[in-house]
Amino acid sequence: MTESLEDYNISKTIKQKSSSLKKIGIVGCGVMGQDISLLTSSCGIDVVFIDVSEDKVKEIYYEMGLKLDKIINRWGLTKSEKRAILSRIKGSSDYQILSDCSIVIESLITSNMKDIVEVKQEVFREIEKVISRNAIIATNSSTIVISELATVLKYQDRALGIHFLSPALTVKVIEITRCLQTSDESFKLACKFANMIDREVISVGESPGSVSTRLIVSLINESCQVLMEGLSNIENIDETMRLGYGLQLGPFEMADKIGLDKLIIWMDNLYKEFGERKYKTSPVIKKLVRAGLLGRKTGKGFYYYENGKIIKKKIEDGI
Amino acid sequence: MKILVLNCGSSSIKYNLYEMPAKSLLAKGIVDKIGLNGAYIKNEREDGDKTKLEGEIIDHQAGLEYLLGILISGKHGSLKKIEDIDAVGHRVVHGGEKFNGSILITKEMISMMEECIELAPLHNPPNLKGIYAITSLLPDIPQVGVFDTAFHQTMPPESYLYAIPYSLYEKYKIRRYGFHGSSHRYVSERACEIIKIKREKLKIITCHLGNGASIAAIKDGKSLDTSMGMTPVEGLIMGTRCGDIDAGALTYIMNKEEIGLAATNTLINKHSGIIGISGISSDMRDIEESALKKNNKRAKLALDMYHYRIKKYIGAYTAAMGGLDLLIFTGGIGENSDFTRAEIAKDMEFFGINFDFDKNKGLRGKEMILSKDKSKVKVMVVPTNEELVIASDTLKVIQTKFK
Repeated sequence: MTESLEDYNISKTIKQKSSSLKKIGIVGCGVMGQDISLLTSSCGIDVVFIDVSEDKVKEIYYEMGLKLDKIINRWGLTKSEKRAILSRIKGSSDYQILSDCSIVIESLITSNMKDIVEVKQEVFREIEKVISRNAIIATNSSTIVISELATVLKYQDRALGIHFLSPALTVKVIEITRCLQTSDESFKLACKFANMIDREVISVGESPGSVSTRLIVSLINESCQVLMEGLSNIENIDETMRLGYGLQLGPFEMADKIGLDKLIIWMDNLYKEFGERKYKTSPVIKKLVRAGLLGRKTGKGFYYYENGKIIKKKIEDGI
Repeated sequence: MKILVLNCGSSSIKYNLYEMPAKSLLAKGIVDKIGLNGAYIKNEREDGDKTKLEGEIIDHQAGLEYLLGILISGKHGSLKKIEDIDAVGHRVVHGGEKFNGSILITKEMISMMEECIELAPLHNPPNLKGIYAITSLLPDIPQVGVFDTAFHQTMPPESYLYAIPYSLYEKYKIRRYGFHGSSHRYVSERACEIIKIKREKLKIITCHLGNGASIAAIKDGKSLDTSMGMTPVEGLIMGTRCGDIDAGALTYIMNKEEIGLAATNTLINKHSGIIGISGISSDMRDIEESALKKNNKRAKLALDMYHYRIKKYIGAYTAAMGGLDLLIFTGGIGENSDFTRAEIAKDMEFFGINFDFDKNKGLRGKEMILSKDKSKVKVMVVPTNEELVIASDTLKVIQTKFK
């Protein structure tokens, strides 16, 4: 027979300690939301995610299974670990599922949205309706000003930014952004979460783009400039940066991986905020996006892809 | 004297409460899913009272507080009050080169243990969490640390060093440490007790064959060599670990499969060994069934490889010691699989092993001499009891320190 542990509490100190981090909520389960869910669950923490419909939830669950299968095929995971990871993740289209979460992370796919801030604010409102007073609400967005999102909350001290870099499953660092209203407790809880999922915390001040997005955007834009001036071609520019500076991916490979449509959103937000030319989207990227060549996810971007691997460099002739 | 033995993992604490020196077990159980959803404590008392308690356990300290609450409770407890616990013994996985025996835990010892974290980043931090928690909860009760590596600290440099640049040993202490030390020590001592010969006079090989497996050469009562190395991956083929492998093959695989360190680590620790070869299971019972009853070739191959590797080590260690007097089987497979024992001991008459196959048949988990009287080398089964080793060491250490 199962009894409650509380009856055997010999010390009041247990009660006085901060609550544990037992469940994480994800709102918006695209590629990034899925990666955050899988990463969190693989560290033994329960995850609930929200997406638009129950059918979509099923689809996401299936996609996450495929993603884990790929990792198993590359020796990074065992089948029993896959079962355990998926068993800790539950999805729904009903916000009520978030009610006992300690942290809820908004991770909407925003590439087709016009009023991103309003949409995210609405999500923040919906989350706050169901969660407890101690729970925190974070956005995974790097270029939206969190203070602005927080204004719609009743308790604004719970808002902050938890920015995962892609691919979240392997990148060991996350940026945690405090906005003007963020309380110390909320910040500490976010850091505790980072620690539990084995990630290094880079604490950054509130500014669109934080550190990672501002720097990568500048590098990609400048690479496009070098390309347009005819100094070198895509492959050679990438190789120079990969071998020359020990980067895992060259700037164009990186742009394709991020998604060129997503890059435009980042760049637009940064340009709007700072008004600096270095953030103005390069015509090269605009041209590709208009043609529907968004990078790896569409199989075509600066490079052509098959099964996630580059098969040939083609696009340059048209640029 | 009541001694609480703790084995703290990352999200669990296994515990045993002993009455010593009587060696009687008063209670045992597990605090599980610490810091996670669905946390619980399962307790089993000596009179058969079993209970499972659920609730929120935010960290190791909270888990131990609840555990102490259960142990002194009228309903499920084994003690009247907390002060009845005379000492706490902790299993500590890695003691590096600093610890060659069990020690009384002091502030100085804790900081030395903290220096060993780098060598076992997954195992030592939770072990230390248990020590911190007990220090804060029961500050006046002595604690003893018992290290998995300590018994093998007697290995000479020729057996513990890797033939890589010596500077790497000096810089990072990269060398072979060996594990399962408490088990190898216990079964060799116990076997000598049974046959009434001093351990110092014998050349012994102990085979700890469980899901993790290692083999040790014990000469003059000291560990001369053991098959696990800097990490538990080296040596015998295990349930999911590869054991010995050409380091060149690994770098080749990394290049061909385009995988990094994390996946390589998973490959050699979780996808290899018996499950890697058989493709069926890491559980030896499944493999034996598939090989012997269903005639599955890959299962048969996995078994052949498993036994061959052990046999090879026995030969090597016998040569290293200049002879062999006593061969001991322990661990889940060593204690329970008559098939594995027979496969290892067969065709070894030239070696001085006259194995009693009839006596071996069906023997599970019992102390027994399995060689014939005329056998030059005695072969024995001795079930291991690492928790009892920790309790005995704890008793010994505090009796020496506080007498």
